[in-house]
Amino acid sequence: MATVNLWAKDGYMSTPDGNSIYFWGFTGDANRPAQLPGPRIVITQGQEVTVNLTNTLAKPVSIVFPGQRGVLAGGQPVQPQYDAERLVSFADYAPPNGGTVTYTFTAEHPGTYIYESGTYPYRQVPMGLYGGLVVRPADFDADTNKTAYGAGTDTGFDREYLLITGEIDPKLHRAVEQGKACSAGGYRPRYWTVNGRCAPDTMMKDSVPYLPRQPYGSMIMAERGERVLIRYIGAGVQTHPLHPHGNHTRVIAVDGRLLRNGEHDRSYNRFTVLVEPGRTYDQIFRWDGLGYSEQNPIPTILPNLRNMGIGDAGWTLWSGSPYLGQKGDIPVGVVSHNELGEYYFMLHSHAEPQITNWGEFPGGMMSMIAVYPSLSPVVGTLP
Amino acid sequence: MAIIRKRYGATDGWINMPDGSKHYIFGFNDITGIPESGIFEFRGKASLPAPLLEVYEGDEVYITLTNLGFPTRPDLDDTHTIHWHGFPNQIPLWDGVPEVSISVPVGRDFDYYYKPLGPGTYMYHCHFEPVEHIQMGMVGPVIVRPGIEKDPDYQGRRFAYNNTITEFDREVILFLTELDLRPHDMVANAQEFDWTEYSPQYWLINGRSYPDTIKPGEDEGLPFQPLSSVVKAYQGEKVLLRIVNLGFQDHSLQILGIPLKVIGQDAREMRGYNSEDLSQWRNTVYIAPGQTMDVIFTAPAAGKYILYNRSHDKNTVNGTSFGGMVTEIDIL
Repeated sequence: MATVNLWAKDGYMSTPDGNSIYFWGFTGDANRPAQLPGPRIVITQGQEVTVNLTNTLAKPVSIVFPGQRGVLAGGQPVQPQYDAERLVSFADYAPPNGGTVTYTFTAEHPGTYIYESGTYPYRQVPMGLYGGLVVRPADFDADTNKTAYGAGTDTGFDREYLLITGEIDPKLHRAVEQGKACSAGGYRPRYWTVNGRCAPDTMMKDSVPYLPRQPYGSMIMAERGERVLIRYIGAGVQTHPLHPHGNHTRVIAVDGRLLRNGEHDRSYNRFTVLVEPGRTYDQIFRWDGLGYSEQNPIPTILPNLRNMGIGDAGWTLWSGSPYLGQKGDIPVGVVSHNELGEYYFMLHSHAEPQITNWGEFPGGMMSMIAVYPSLSPVVGTLP
Repeated sequence: MAIIRKRYGATDGWINMPDGSKHYIFGFNDITGIPESGIFEFRGKASLPAPLLEVYEGDEVYITLTNLGFPTRPDLDDTHTIHWHGFPNQIPLWDGVPEVSISVPVGRDFDYYYKPLGPGTYMYHCHFEPVEHIQMGMVGPVIVRPGIEKDPDYQGRRFAYNNTITEFDREVILFLTELDLRPHDMVANAQEFDWTEYSPQYWLINGRSYPDTIKPGEDEGLPFQPLSSVVKAYQGEKVLLRIVNLGFQDHSLQILGIPLKVIGQDAREMRGYNSEDLSQWRNTVYIAPGQTMDVIFTAPAAGKYILYNRSHDKNTVNGTSFGGMVTEIDIL
């Protein structure tokens, strides 16, 4: 039996171009501000879960759990809600200004899921009322049986990351802030987010103090050869073709369902995965490299670096060396954020206007995969 | 295994649309073997798409990228790179992402090296300010041919992957992009475009809008758009379509009267973890930016068949019909 307490609140989020945007979000503590996305919920298959929602906003708010069956509200099956015979909510809601509602369900299948508001969702979900739900397989053991879908499913992993995509049209957010009417038509995002942040903030660590409402980073870190479980959730209304550099990913599950029919494996390798609205993907990424080192040198010659473009963005993540775990010279005046000679591979939406902040590159739905020569085992774990 | 040496220039140029309009582009051209004193002649002569890179798995491929500058925008000293999109286990040095390694300033060279180990259809593009440089046209196709074709048992036969069921008789590249005339015009005139306003008027196959798509490769009206999209085959032949999407929109292709078998995606044969056959029959091939698909069909009875974008708004040229992502299959 797991109990999750959530509060629906409002607040302001930051974008890297200096904008401050009003949003609605969930938080896991009555005394903490709203966050974007909501707290990660990690439970185990077969576990009964109780979610208590307290709504501090001036509008009704609910939570729906797509992919879960038999969800109860106040002990009864959740039902759509009507106001004067007009649909207002897909599920029982917590009334405004302090109302509460309690949902219970038992997670039937392991996998990656979304939870989100089902009340006026065309407005409340883009406002930020969404979060990620991870269900561990019943036989999960972080030390001896670390898999996404259970023993015997070929889904073992060494580290895992959850990336939730979203979009922001500031016009909608301003209208909600000012209590004005805003048509759902003409939706035109200016920001695209991963875990509620726009690049380059996506590459910052979890819980950095200057992003108090956006606690989750999206920098994927691993060692060479490790199996990295990357979970995608599409929380917006657009499609996003996410492309990791460095290698293909093996897509092992869609919408929390293992891609396997009995003995027939249906997983596949892709270099771009199209994340559709509401969909989730579980993938294994692994970078083994091509075996280059100072003992097995690259077959090309590094040019004089003063003649090359390095750090044009105002910074570089390059080490100055072609080799993993080595550092080389970086031209004077260029700031390198490289720590240990690690390699960086971009992970981004290939609908390229989505990697801008209101039209300005770099930004938006973009992060990096960092391959370190060695890395603490606590990096890349979900609570 | 062969050693392949190429030299690509990065520069600008102009392309033509069937409504008579001209559009400013950035792009690559092939300057392999051109003496140093002659490369200046290639400034302002970028092609769309960029030259096809065609190699065998196991080849050692050296590409020198030379930044020739922009004659139309001499004030714009952007650097360039080559990003081989989808290359497995790449190292950052040759991955072409300026933020994590090296880019090439005007007048400089840089050597990329690839030893492709997986056959299939890939793409390459510049990764400097990619929203601008991709839309402006620095995009090209890559084909990695399978080693099985070099096996004496299969001499003279052609395959998409190392599996005899991927055999084909003819192949065509369908390289999909879009063109929004506003950023092209603004970049030509040293203005900044708000990329969140992106909304194209032209939808292109191999850099051309129908009816230019069915013109032959060499066409005096299309000097820098050298790739035809016309598909010609005899009845009963197997035709491989190598579809690449390097636009910013999802596209939905159909051929009226011809079912399509998707046998590869993202340069991987459609095979499961234990070699399960995952190929799929489709009437509609839905492809997102940054994806590639390998599709085989068997040429039906003689006649013309139309390939088009089922998002019918993309069968237009700046608002008028017919045009855009349309081409013709001629079965003889």
